[in-house]
Amino acid sequence: MINADGYRFDPGFLVDHLGELGGGLVRTVEISAIGMAGALVVGALLGAVSAFRVPVARQLVRVYVEVFRNTPLLVQIFFLYFALPEVGLRLDAFTVGWLSLLLWGGAYNVENFRAGFEAVEAGYVEACRALGFSRLAAFGQVGFPLGWRIALPSVTNTQISVFKNSSFMIAISYPELTETAVNIVAVSFRVFEMFLAIGVIYLGLVWLMSIGTRAVERRFAIPGGH
Amino acid sequence: MPVWVGPVASYLATGLRTTALLALTSVLASIAVGVVLGTLLTLPSRLVRAVIRAYVEIWRGLPIIIILFFIFFVLPVVGLTVDTFTAAAIGLSLWGSANMAEVVRGAVQSVPRGQAEAGAALGFPWPSRMRYVILPQATRRALPPLVGLVVNLTQQTSLAAVIGLLDILEASQRSIERLTLTGGDTHAVPILGAVLVVFFVICLPLTMLSRWLERRLR
Repeated sequence: MINADGYRFDPGFLVDHLGELGGGLVRTVEISAIGMAGALVVGALLGAVSAFRVPVARQLVRVYVEVFRNTPLLVQIFFLYFALPEVGLRLDAFTVGWLSLLLWGGAYNVENFRAGFEAVEAGYVEACRALGFSRLAAFGQVGFPLGWRIALPSVTNTQISVFKNSSFMIAISYPELTETAVNIVAVSFRVFEMFLAIGVIYLGLVWLMSIGTRAVERRFAIPGGH
Repeated sequence: MPVWVGPVASYLATGLRTTALLALTSVLASIAVGVVLGTLLTLPSRLVRAVIRAYVEIWRGLPIIIILFFIFFVLPVVGLTVDTFTAAAIGLSLWGSANMAEVVRGAVQSVPRGQAEAGAALGFPWPSRMRYVILPQATRRALPPLVGLVVNLTQQTSLAAVIGLLDILEASQRSIERLTLTGGDTHAVPILGAVLVVFFVICLPLTMLSRWLERRLR
């Protein structure tokens, strides 16, 4: 590729910077992995609280979910990074990175899991109760195993979004993949090489994740169901 | 009220106007392009579908921030000078239209097959079948995810701050910097808190509308 100013695509440049990009990729995977795992746990726990209609706790979960779903993740990141120090809580970019992803993805997963738990046929749970199971046991034995499977497709969508949104950490200069690439562009102007590289990396990883999640969805599909 | 509040508030209001304009532009462009692409995705032609599918997968699969940076850095290299607003609007519309295409495709395909077959049996060609039978029904089904996409795009406009657009978020950041330089106090909690509140007040009613539409469809 060449333009009027003599810009020429230089694969060698790309090869020279693969190490740097690899470092960025590792940091992207780190914060995404912690954020995704946290979002899963938070989502399942609070989703159960929501579906169970636990008094008070349920209203608090509602507030958490609405606040985090109706404000931009980037503003949440800025708030954690720039505003919290004012009230004496100073977090480094790494902590803000995984924490913001966890809180944001968690809010979406609460809704995903709640919807999944609530979609479990009421008759199954009633049958359990008739057999003398406590409410908690009925949930543990039937509600949860069925509900999380129903929630799975929407949960995996959220998880993939969490991974992609790790790129937002460029705004607080955390050296993940995007920040690394943009920094290289800023000093070298090798725009096509860098964006081709990270574009391929992100698309490839998202593609792998969706193949993986589809396999998981098939593996745990409810026979005959939903 | 402290003296800094007035100027900061009016500065944020200017930024909010830019945010609103960007959201409106990208929502309209996304809907226009997305409806066309989504409808074409339901065509029988394999080639057409493959081309559009590639468009949809690329812009949906990439993080939006990468798309914005890509547009912002690449257009000047190929000789197109664009301001940050145009770059942000193009980037958000690429992402939005790809998502909108999926919304439209999903809605069209959720209309029972028998409807299209009945139309075909009555001698309607594909365009009339779409126009008179499928799209009127699909529109109802597309509404809840469409409103969800509007909420999403509105929130994603904040990313334009990263490429330097003076939207409400960038205005808040510059206010915080200015206050820090002049008085030493950042006032970041009330300023960023206000930005959160503004987005919340815009997005919550839309989210509730989307949920209400979804319930009504059942």
